[in-house]
Amino acid sequence: MVVIMLEKVPSSVRGELTRWMLELRSGVFVGNISALVRDKLWEVICLKLRGGAAFLLHNADTEQGFTIRSSGDSSRIIQDFDGLLLTRIP
Amino acid sequence: MKDLHALPKVRDSLSYLYVEHCRVDQDDKAIAFHDGGGKVPVPCASLVSLMLGPGTTITHAAVRTLAEHGCLVLWTGEMGVRFYAQGMGETRAARNFLQQARLVSTPEWRLRVVRRMYEMRFIEPLDESLTLQQIRGKEGIRVRETYARLSRETGVAWSGRSYRRDNWGSADPVNRALSAANSCLYGVCHAAIVSAGYSPALGFIHTGKMLSFVYDIADLYKADLTIPLAFHAVAEGQTNLESRIRRACRDVFHDARLLQRIIPDIERALSVLSPSENAEKDFDSEDALPGGLWDPLAGEMEGGVNWATAEEELEQ
Repeated sequence: MVVIMLEKVPSSVRGELTRWMLELRSGVFVGNISALVRDKLWEVICLKLRGGAAFLLHNADTEQGFTIRSSGDSSRIIQDFDGLLLTRIP
Repeated sequence: MKDLHALPKVRDSLSYLYVEHCRVDQDDKAIAFHDGGGKVPVPCASLVSLMLGPGTTITHAAVRTLAEHGCLVLWTGEMGVRFYAQGMGETRAARNFLQQARLVSTPEWRLRVVRRMYEMRFIEPLDESLTLQQIRGKEGIRVRETYARLSRETGVAWSGRSYRRDNWGSADPVNRALSAANSCLYGVCHAAIVSAGYSPALGFIHTGKMLSFVYDIADLYKADLTIPLAFHAVAEGQTNLESRIRRACRDVFHDARLLQRIIPDIERALSVLSPSENAEKDFDSEDALPGGLWDPLAGEMEGGVNWATAEEELEQ
């Protein structure tokens, strides 16, 4: 399962995602896409962010069971504590 | 959410979180740690142990919250070696604790647990005729060979285990690495023991220390988990050793499914009694439960059981 959350990004980016995933609520996308598609989409998102922010969440074989990637400025930062991902609120 | 049965189990939880140079406080119904860069909320209900390193302070409210969620709190020093730990466990019943006390105090039963613990460390079953002395000898060989093999495989020099906590500088990197890795393992084992309602002090192989049982259980996993990872971490270099070891511990514990195995393993180590010896029946709450049958040799045989043998049945 893959979840992508977008904050203040151009509509072209959101449009690209709706081809592959369900937009459950504004800026929140969920899907069961392959790793290849997921990584490609993330690349596109990172290139076109333009001041917004994005989070990518997917299953992983780690203790937590998932991994998070983030890009852009957001009110929350993902921080890695010896392999455990937590959110930091500055 | 006060229903104890609904609370997360050790097997579904996160093994540990290590923090330093911050203030740990209650945050809403959970906890968070605060430092110069803001605050980081911590999902303490699914955390088995919290390791507090140098520069940390913790509030009364945070400790209360951690206790409510059954998270063990450990204070650690150099190389993550813990010098203080406290946790109550969520199970209020003393049943497991009393059973462990009974086993450790009855020499014949204690010996059975000791043998079972040694057996659990070996892949092949142990010959029943071996004496305890001989089993200890085999274990000594197994441990020595583990160190020697890893030293060969990783190219890291090994000249024996040294425990000098007063002078970390003089200890070689691989000994410091072993101490750091074992500290993570002890924390997780201690937390699981307390969470399952057992005592960390009542050890079977180890004796005389307040964490003897923790060392007993941790020894089930050292040769497979922490000793290899310590050698590999040192082989990769000496920068950031402590942090790399903690990270490696998390991955190794996950791959080995340590949190899922630990409580079943503890129970396996301690189930050495036959049903008739395990006379812990609560007759007050279960009137219909049959009592035992007196026997001149065994003392008591189990009641509610048909003792006719197959041949006796045929003769009828």
